[in-house]
Amino acid sequence: MSKYFKDHYDVIIIGGALAGMSCALQLQAKGVKDILILEKHNLPGGLATDYVRNGFEIEATLHEMMSIGTKENRLKVGQFFDDMGVDIDWLPVPECYRVALPNSGIDKILHDGYERMAREIDEVVPGTFEKVHELMLLCRRVYDSMNILSVTPMSKVQMLMKHPDFVKTVGYSATEVINTFGLPKKAVEMLTPYWIYVGNRMDDLPFTIYAFLMADYFTGSYVCRGFSHEMSMKMERKVEENGAQFEFKQEVEKILVKDGKVYGVRTKRGDEIHADYVVSGAYPNKVYTQMIEPLSEVPEGAIKMINGRKLAVVPVSVMMVIEGTPEENGFTNYSTFSGETMDTNEIWRNNENLTEPYNYITTICLNYANPGCVPEGFTQLSITNLVPSAPFESVTEEEYHDLKRRLASEMIEECLKITKVDFRKRICEIEISTPMTIAHYVGAWKGNIYGFSHSLSDHAVARLGMKEEDHFIDGLEFAGAFGMSGDGMGPQITNGRAAAKAILEDKEKKEAAK
Amino acid sequence: MSIKVKGFLKDVGGASRVTELRRESIANASSVPDPKDPIREVADLLHPESMKLRVAEIRDTSKYAKTFRFESVDGHIPVFQSGQYANFRLEIGGSTLTRPYSISSAPYEARGEKPFFEITIRRNRPYFVPDWFFANVKVGDVLEGALPFGTWYWEPLRDSKEIVALAGGVGITPFHSLAKEIAYGKLKGKGLKLTVLYGSVKQDDIVLKDELDAIERDCPDVRIVHVLSDEPDWPGEKGFVTREIIEKYSTPDCTYMFCGPFPMYTLVKKTLGEMGVPDRRFRHDAINNPADVTLLPGYPKGRETETHKITVCRGIAKDVIDASAKEPVAVALERAGIKIDTHCRNGECGFCRSQLISGDVFVSPIGDGRRLMDREMGWFHPCSAWPLSDLTIRIPIL
Repeated sequence: MSKYFKDHYDVIIIGGALAGMSCALQLQAKGVKDILILEKHNLPGGLATDYVRNGFEIEATLHEMMSIGTKENRLKVGQFFDDMGVDIDWLPVPECYRVALPNSGIDKILHDGYERMAREIDEVVPGTFEKVHELMLLCRRVYDSMNILSVTPMSKVQMLMKHPDFVKTVGYSATEVINTFGLPKKAVEMLTPYWIYVGNRMDDLPFTIYAFLMADYFTGSYVCRGFSHEMSMKMERKVEENGAQFEFKQEVEKILVKDGKVYGVRTKRGDEIHADYVVSGAYPNKVYTQMIEPLSEVPEGAIKMINGRKLAVVPVSVMMVIEGTPEENGFTNYSTFSGETMDTNEIWRNNENLTEPYNYITTICLNYANPGCVPEGFTQLSITNLVPSAPFESVTEEEYHDLKRRLASEMIEECLKITKVDFRKRICEIEISTPMTIAHYVGAWKGNIYGFSHSLSDHAVARLGMKEEDHFIDGLEFAGAFGMSGDGMGPQITNGRAAAKAILEDKEKKEAAK
Repeated sequence: MSIKVKGFLKDVGGASRVTELRRESIANASSVPDPKDPIREVADLLHPESMKLRVAEIRDTSKYAKTFRFESVDGHIPVFQSGQYANFRLEIGGSTLTRPYSISSAPYEARGEKPFFEITIRRNRPYFVPDWFFANVKVGDVLEGALPFGTWYWEPLRDSKEIVALAGGVGITPFHSLAKEIAYGKLKGKGLKLTVLYGSVKQDDIVLKDELDAIERDCPDVRIVHVLSDEPDWPGEKGFVTREIIEKYSTPDCTYMFCGPFPMYTLVKKTLGEMGVPDRRFRHDAINNPADVTLLPGYPKGRETETHKITVCRGIAKDVIDASAKEPVAVALERAGIKIDTHCRNGECGFCRSQLISGDVFVSPIGDGRRLMDREMGWFHPCSAWPLSDLTIRIPIL
């Protein structure tokens, strides 16, 4: 028995990242107060964090926080923070994205508002307004239906009556549904760049997910004044104010299971702590192959479930502070997708190897959403690509530093094509993060940030329908990017709440049985 | 009218179709567990949490300095870059002390058949941990530690290939590493030019002198300029590393790298500022806090004689310890036998990040690496924060 922990908690949450903390907040709101959060790192928030180099504070991950909405008109995630009393200083992102394809002669900024963006695309590809607008409204209907159906179960007939567009597009890829609109290639190219945030090719990405993403992003997005660390810190403080115990530098090594029921965890430090429920922020892949003690408690179905699904993407990111204002360095906007092509099959093919320079990048100039992120006269920049993990699985320690510098310098070169200004001589700080960086800091399985890939064979709707089938150990829930709602920081809040809901329902059921 | 994709029947069957597809791919999947995560494995090789380090050799490298060579008990030393440091967890007198030492050997020496790394410690007057190293550490001993740490190294994507290094005393060690890597290692033939302006007191106090001489002989890209402050007959540069000397050896747009004691840092920073060197061309290692806290800019002089109580919260446990205002909070914890995992000991790296629940501390403005929200919400780095009142703090359970 340790003097630092109680012997028993109602709920132990492994990982103090966004999903784990939102799970705690949701449980606390429903009266479950006896919670222990064990975080491996010495910071809350997992990847929602930042770091300081020579007095410059550098955002580690957050590009856009979705589903926040304005103060007057909150969306799902923003509303949750408000309801929980987590007061974050949200700064609006000024546009959705700039799509810059020198080869196709496209260079256009698209703003939020479905009508506005449709007009902006029409300016580049005349005659497409009606169809693009119609596509966006379809996306919105699917988005609204998703939000309702993920919390309110209904019969198939009811679903078809009330949510026909949702039902009729579920079985198709983004490409299949977009094709029915008969848009010119150039317009489609302007409508696909966000694919990177769901990490699968448009031919295999469910339209449902594409629609959700597009409808969400084109209502506007936000970042935090105090970087994503602000969101993490304020959630942590609230979780603790509500009575949870939150401990850093506590890596959980084992999840203790007996007769199919979870009863606690053991930390690397050696503390054995018991609980009625355990919520894992660790990937199911790690939990079912390494962490469950004894491993004989892992049912065959759990192994099949992880083996039968594909992991999503890993990030490669170059983060810089550059001397000079954004304008002096050739930046005029917040978020830019650029490269040789927007054909996601071609990008995917390129991303599956580490020899070709990446042909597609996302560039974020943080100054445009958060002018205070650097002192005046400096630029904060990140260049990111999200790629399959496979090519990184054969990278050795010896070649690691050279590889990451080569990737970074290639990505910077791709970026110079849009800035037309060579800022390389003015770099003040540069950090390069890879899947190894992710694995090191947060322990995410194979450096994955997006859980399981959204695909037609692992569809969010199928996940929802198979919720019971995917549940293997009594009292063990999962909260992270591998959850039902998938990847991104907004969905982590939803994933955490879903884990809380599962616990609350189970508690109710067990109490009723008593 | 709602959408039609491929026909009503096929369209409305979508949900069942994708569910079947998912069920099928899971049913057809292998039932053999695959616990291997090659990316985490490489990450762990690059950043081992803890290593057993065996002392392989100890040699004198100046009148006051000794170089300690370490091999890893498991044979593996992670790839590091010149300028990075090793962090030791030393068990001394019932306390665990964590201490950083710059790696003085070259990165290439940690690869290949008999990998090792070295640190060099100078002890020109009594210091607690150097004294302990000199008096207690013997060949064959196994210490606990890890490497590499720190973000101070020559970065090809940022820094100039023309490097002017400014070193004071034992601050030469990372430059010895860099010079050796340029002469014989992976940086050989990469077009780097390194000029080291190395300030020492007297000739016999020059750390790693023979080694530096040999590198200079072998490698035209490395030049060592000794600047001696108390050796009137010295044929080379004399006095301190002044603006005149720095300008004499500088090239346009060179990168200055600094490693040395606190007073020299203050001078060099001022001098480079006067020379109009942009901040990005001045890269400095973590600056050790001076033993006298009142030397730090902004310290409220007179408060250093006070003593305070610190209530230390770890999990549900609480301890109350004594603290002298003269010493950082981390030192008070170490004296009380409470583990705190410091690394840089300069406030920069944030490894010891902890919560200040109540009370006031003085935070050194040099190397203050706290995040904006940490500053606003009461988090601090105990290695570089001095108590100004009784405190209640919360630190990680180690």
